[in-house]
Amino acid sequence: MVTSMTRKLLREIVHLRGQLVAIILVIGCGIGTYVMSRSMHTSLTLTQQAYYEKGRYADVFATLQRAPLSVIDQLAAINGVALAEGRTVSSVQVDVPGLPEPAQATLVSMSSRRSATLNDIHLVSGRRIRPGSTDEVILYAPFAETNGLVPGGTVAAVLNGRWRRLTVVGTAISPEFVIVMNPGSLMLDQRRVGVMWMAEEAVQAAYDMRGAFNSAVIRLFPGASERDVCKHVDAVLDQYGGWGATGRSEQLSHRFLSDEIAQLEVTAIIIPLIFLAVAIFLLNIALTRLVSTQRTTIAILKAFGYGTVSIAIHYVGFAVVAVSGGTIIGVVVGYVLGIELAELYMEFYRFPMLVFRMPWDVITMVVLMSLLAAVAGALLAVRNAVRLPPADAMRPPAPRTFRAGVLERMGVAANLRPVTLMILRTIERRALRAGVAVLMIALATAILVLGRFMFDVMDRMLAISFDKAQHEDVTVTFSKPLSAHAIHSVRHMPGVIRAEPFRIIGVEMIAGQHRHQTVVTTVAADQRLRRITDVDGRYTVIPDNGLVMTEYLARKLHCRVGDTIAIAIREGRRDTVRVPIVATVKEFMGAQGYMSPAAMSRLLHEQGTISGAYVAMASDSLGPFLIRAKQTPVVAGTLVRTVALQSFRDVYVQNMWMMTTYIVVLSCVIAFGVVYNSARIALSERGTELASLRILGMTKREIAVVLLGEQVLLMLVAIPVGIAMGYALCRWIVGAFETEYLRLVFAFSSNTVGISASTIIAVTAITAMLVYRRIHHLDLIAVLKSRE
Amino acid sequence: MHTHDQPGTVIFEMQHISKVYKMGDVSVHALRDVSLTITTGELLVILGASGSGKSTLLNILGGLDVPTSGSVLYRGRDMTHADDSTLTAFRRASVGFVFQFYNIIPSLTAIENVRLVTDIADDPMDPREALRLVGLEDRMDHFPAQLSGGEQQRVAIARAIAKRPDVLLCDEPTGALDYQTGVLVLEVIDTIHQELDATVALITHNASIADMADRVFKMRSGEIVEQYAPAVRRKPSELSW
Repeated sequence: MVTSMTRKLLREIVHLRGQLVAIILVIGCGIGTYVMSRSMHTSLTLTQQAYYEKGRYADVFATLQRAPLSVIDQLAAINGVALAEGRTVSSVQVDVPGLPEPAQATLVSMSSRRSATLNDIHLVSGRRIRPGSTDEVILYAPFAETNGLVPGGTVAAVLNGRWRRLTVVGTAISPEFVIVMNPGSLMLDQRRVGVMWMAEEAVQAAYDMRGAFNSAVIRLFPGASERDVCKHVDAVLDQYGGWGATGRSEQLSHRFLSDEIAQLEVTAIIIPLIFLAVAIFLLNIALTRLVSTQRTTIAILKAFGYGTVSIAIHYVGFAVVAVSGGTIIGVVVGYVLGIELAELYMEFYRFPMLVFRMPWDVITMVVLMSLLAAVAGALLAVRNAVRLPPADAMRPPAPRTFRAGVLERMGVAANLRPVTLMILRTIERRALRAGVAVLMIALATAILVLGRFMFDVMDRMLAISFDKAQHEDVTVTFSKPLSAHAIHSVRHMPGVIRAEPFRIIGVEMIAGQHRHQTVVTTVAADQRLRRITDVDGRYTVIPDNGLVMTEYLARKLHCRVGDTIAIAIREGRRDTVRVPIVATVKEFMGAQGYMSPAAMSRLLHEQGTISGAYVAMASDSLGPFLIRAKQTPVVAGTLVRTVALQSFRDVYVQNMWMMTTYIVVLSCVIAFGVVYNSARIALSERGTELASLRILGMTKREIAVVLLGEQVLLMLVAIPVGIAMGYALCRWIVGAFETEYLRLVFAFSSNTVGISASTIIAVTAITAMLVYRRIHHLDLIAVLKSRE
Repeated sequence: MHTHDQPGTVIFEMQHISKVYKMGDVSVHALRDVSLTITTGELLVILGASGSGKSTLLNILGGLDVPTSGSVLYRGRDMTHADDSTLTAFRRASVGFVFQFYNIIPSLTAIENVRLVTDIADDPMDPREALRLVGLEDRMDHFPAQLSGGEQQRVAIARAIAKRPDVLLCDEPTGALDYQTGVLVLEVIDTIHQELDATVALITHNASIADMADRVFKMRSGEIVEQYAPAVRRKPSELSW
């Protein structure tokens, strides 16, 4: 049986539905975001683990020049190593039919002993390679698909300087290559960057690596120390030109994926917290108002013998309804979005499976915590009312008292219109509530600013890298270092206006106990096509007398300008030499070093060898140039600037739009919830006053100014506060977000300010219109009889 | 207080007014076939018990409500079916209200409450002058919470007269006040009536107040049951209840 108190609660819920819906939406957004991020986080983590397990993804990776296969046994014997395998890996140029420029692929040898293979592939189409085949390859599925390559088709590739026609027998994905990109380029370009698996024997034959390997992959026993194993592996491989063993964390693909998954966890905490804070505030002010209008009712209930506790429970019912509604919406929407997004991620990362799991335990905990917080907010609101003795409560509350305040002390009151004074004094009297409302709207603005800010950052980074730093049309890289004369051949290629050579070497930089594997590239003083540019767009000149490195790298190595560090060169004579750091540059990508060509020649004891060239082209001659490049076996790769720019935009801009849409929806819900609730409560608190003004002859518009002026004023204060908060938040993020691959550049456009501000203004205007409709229903006559 | 009017000019003319409120399935006849006229410069008292329909009558006069049937003419203009904006304009320009519970704005000082009206009126008084007329020149900068009930009611009166309305409508102006304060407020109303030659309609359940009127309408169950002019017009200070 429904008790009278439940009936009362239900009727009042219907009566307050507008405000309640706003609160439920805010809670729903918070819990929805939480459920979505948590379930995605859990699911992606589990999927990643399952995928890694299924493909037997290695724990330790080592690259070396060449070692006999017998060395594998030494690696396998290291304490903690479960399994060690050797393979041959190389970077190759691929001629894809229909693709004007050459594509680049990592060629990986595949053992025919399938059962033992670490980093095993997952076939998407076709079949595996037949043992002993010499021309069969399996292509990385996204690369094959974007290029329209299917099993049965052919591609040409330069293997060890010789063109080979290869038959595609299958397409596959692998846990080692969840993400494939050129290190340091940040370009996710599935059309031009791929992976190619080939039979071990065939690769060994092509690269004169019979009985040898140049890449080792190692699986550890659970609990084994990755650090110790790496140390031992380095000791074994040092004499074979080892580059230094690393764990998964140094693997580009793993790192990228893990970073992305980790980001979800941050979203899972911060955004729901903001929403819950807003919801509790709204619930508290709505209930405070409800209780104050029901003062007499409470007194009557108490007079009838209802206890303080049962009355408190009655009002807490609102909080329970709000949280329950929010939970239902949040869990359902979060669940649906979680699956949708997890599937999007699955497609994006090409996971062969999706382990979707809702972390019910964590979700239950959050719902309980929200409930607790909401109930606390509600109890705070009813506390005073239920405490009053019935006789006191039956008397009307003392009229709202206003006294001379800040406005009078400042002496401005006399110059203001009464309507303005009403608005200002109401805010002044409820300063705390107004302050919190401002804070909440400001928060919504700040979230918007943050969303738009990412576009500014991308624009700025694109502007710096594509307009200031990179003036070449094409970057050509050779498959091996060539003599300085090779630049003349490049200059004679079709359409070339200018070609500038560069040398790039793989090194390990060692400063005390800090080490970092990276590359050093030459930058000539008169180089025009590629210049070293810092995050502020300033050019850096590379002196002749030492090494320049990115600030990030200097920090990582704990060294500074003036220090001398050791550089272990990973090619040629493989010397380790000491070089002074002469400058650092704050670039936004990578952790690498630069030297002048002269300094590099001294370092290598070589006379001006080159690794590639930056090329400026005459317009319309790109096609012939790329055809020629494709036909030149020594060209390992070409990177066309406009293509790189386009693929960058395609991937990142699309992702950012999704993120921005989400952010806009979230902040609009907050702004709507706060403005709507504040306005409805103001309408309820000041209904008598507003009706009195109508009786005095004010039009509906004029009293709308009195009612909504307060909300507009709060909004006007909140917007600059929110923009300042957003600015600080963006500054903080730029400082905090710093990975080896990417540093953010601070950029803040007037567009961001404009769009964020106008979104909040639009939401406030729409909300105000909703409330304005209520002004029509003010009962003028009832007011005359009531005594607030 | 359109002083250019000739005394005796008809301001309101109500003919056969009825008002029926629908309260769910029940119809309540608040007014039944009421007719009356109000001329310039007179002080009218409408007397009746609670539920007699006197407030409904005042609401229709003041443009807060429209009759169900019958006609209302204000200075010859038919207000019977006026829409909301016409009624708003009418209240704004022509009517001053005084209520039982003052209905003054708590966040505004006495003078600011008056300015609220003078800001939107065409030819208002100086707010100070209005407050002086009700004897509050010393308390102009006080907030309602700092004023007594009688003072608050006087602010309401000052606010009502500051726009120089055609008619001052007072709905139980002394209903929430003790005797002494009530008399004080009535004196203010009488002074305004005398000094400004204002037309005043005052409703009350208090029969003693009828003695200060030029004309008295007695109401019962929505009808005017008696209409008379008191033989001796008394000053508020001579009234007792």
